[in-house]
Amino acid sequence: MLALQLLCNGIVTGCALGIVAVSFSFIYATTKIFHVAHAGVYTMGGYIAWSLLGHGFPAPIALLIAMAACTALGSLIQAVLYARLEQRSATHLVILIASLGTLAVIQNILAAVYTANILRFDLPWSSHVVTIVGNVRLTLTQLTTVAVSVGAYAGVMWFAHRTILGKQIRAVASNPFLAEITRLRPRRVHVYVVAFASALVCLPGVLVPLDFGLQPYGGVTPLLTATIAMIAGGVVSITGAFVLAIVITELQNLSLLFIPGEWSIGVTFFIFVIFMLFRPKGLFAAAR
Amino acid sequence: MLHLLRRAIGALAFMLVVTIAHADTIRFGAILPLTGPGAMIGTQQMRGIRFAVDKANAAGGVHGEKIEILFEDNQAKPDQSILSFNKLADLQKVPMIFTAYSGPSLAMAPLATRKKILLINAGAQADKLATASPYLVNTLPTIGDEVKVISKYLIGDGKTQGAILFENDAAGIAGRDDFVKYFPEAGGTILSQEPTQFGQTDFRPALLKLADAKPQVMLVSITAGLLQMAQQYKQLGLNSTVAGTTFFADPDTVADPSSEGFVHTQVRIDAPPALAAEFKEKFGVEMEFFVRQYYNATQMILTVTDKLLAEGKALTGENMHDELFAIGKFQGLIPLEFKSNTATVPLDINVMRGGKDVTIKRMSSD
Repeated sequence: MLALQLLCNGIVTGCALGIVAVSFSFIYATTKIFHVAHAGVYTMGGYIAWSLLGHGFPAPIALLIAMAACTALGSLIQAVLYARLEQRSATHLVILIASLGTLAVIQNILAAVYTANILRFDLPWSSHVVTIVGNVRLTLTQLTTVAVSVGAYAGVMWFAHRTILGKQIRAVASNPFLAEITRLRPRRVHVYVVAFASALVCLPGVLVPLDFGLQPYGGVTPLLTATIAMIAGGVVSITGAFVLAIVITELQNLSLLFIPGEWSIGVTFFIFVIFMLFRPKGLFAAAR
Repeated sequence: MLHLLRRAIGALAFMLVVTIAHADTIRFGAILPLTGPGAMIGTQQMRGIRFAVDKANAAGGVHGEKIEILFEDNQAKPDQSILSFNKLADLQKVPMIFTAYSGPSLAMAPLATRKKILLINAGAQADKLATASPYLVNTLPTIGDEVKVISKYLIGDGKTQGAILFENDAAGIAGRDDFVKYFPEAGGTILSQEPTQFGQTDFRPALLKLADAKPQVMLVSITAGLLQMAQQYKQLGLNSTVAGTTFFADPDTVADPSSEGFVHTQVRIDAPPALAAEFKEKFGVEMEFFVRQYYNATQMILTVTDKLLAEGKALTGENMHDELFAIGKFQGLIPLEFKSNTATVPLDINVMRGGKDVTIKRMSSD
């Protein structure tokens, strides 16, 4: 029963982290930028939705507006900050530092506006509990998270393989130089990618705090885990990022059956390091 | 070159004027988490200090001198606290600093001893704080004092098998160690223990593992995310009693139905209605526990300062320390008596019932 409950909880958390990993993977694979400020976009999405719900907006509308806000912020960061730094031949390290600075600014603005208190969403249905297989108990929020995350993953796969823009993005990601000379306009594609990924990351940015509460500094840990999932899954693999996010979360959860919780993150990273020694390109590196 | 020299002289003159203008201002320091996961509590603490100081200044200050508090943000991190302490001690020459959180307070304690600066802690409760420095004074009991009381109560109530959920930092580990020591001493058994990280709000894995040991009582030692823990506890359908210490003093958790039946010790500190209303008018929020604690501690410091100035003594950390213990007993929002570096205060056993925190037993921390 304990194992089954931990397994189910791991699937829920893993699915949410999977979307974070997919969105981050999209950005990194295409722009080669370690967009740490993505954690700030993720966090901001939750706060925007919280504010709108507090003003009486219906939940779906609040979510859509939050996604639009995240899209705008992500696009702004890419177009105004990263693109200019690249034009000035800034190194990846400089861009990383700029991204860290942007993250700090976003977090501090959110903390100043909303305070550092852990805020909770006022949606009575969100904590309603459903008993599924055996005695496994999940809240409606958790079930919604799984459904939305799987749907988002399917949507991203369709977008990447069936739409013109998706194919352009993959083309730029696989060969930026060729993309430039074939007039695919990589710089414009970069903005589209970050915009799309920012909208995508807003989904877990709202659903995870719906379950655990909103904190201005709460985006960094999910992003770190998502980064590991992205690398372990194969940097350009959407499926790899999503699947490995679930695997990593399950490892952390199920390891509790054998070891104290304080070691679970260490064990996960240890397994990651060992895995990378044998498969440095990631599990799904050949798959797209 | 000449115009640069003129500008430098002008700047120096300005600084001199400002310094002279502030010569009759007494400066104390406060190193609190104003950002980061601890900021919710740190903001309460800051407001408590500000409220007391503003009232004192409005009444003419202390012996005609205004009080100014220099706030430093440490994000509840020990390393950041050291930097802030050195800045306040060496650059600002403050004789006294308010502190909070066990980790930062313990990190600063050796510096307080060496530099003879009085450290006043009105929020942290790790047991090591009691003996960390002769210059570290605690205005509330240590976790050990509270755990002894709650352990005896739980055993008396028939709850003899416990599991511990604790935060993996100085305060949480101190609480865990105290439960491991005092719960069995009172006649109980510890079946299991699980850590969480400070600021973490996903408690489900830890709660599930603890519940698997089938305890009668879940002993909780966390300082952040208590409401989320309570909600997840209820969502998982767990039914053992949840018990804790003054760390449970969170109005949102008390008001939430998922905390029904939670039992905890509580340092008794109430504010008169008029004072609470005045605070609410000024800050727009209720005068919560840590606001009252730091208001009370500031009142104590102002009493010490007043006495020192009346006696014509210099306002140094050493003199403030000696005067505090010479006075020994302070009557603010609650009586504080210093038989050691840690005050003896009234302690209650409370249970969360119907959205309220109800006192079911009154005790003392000594």
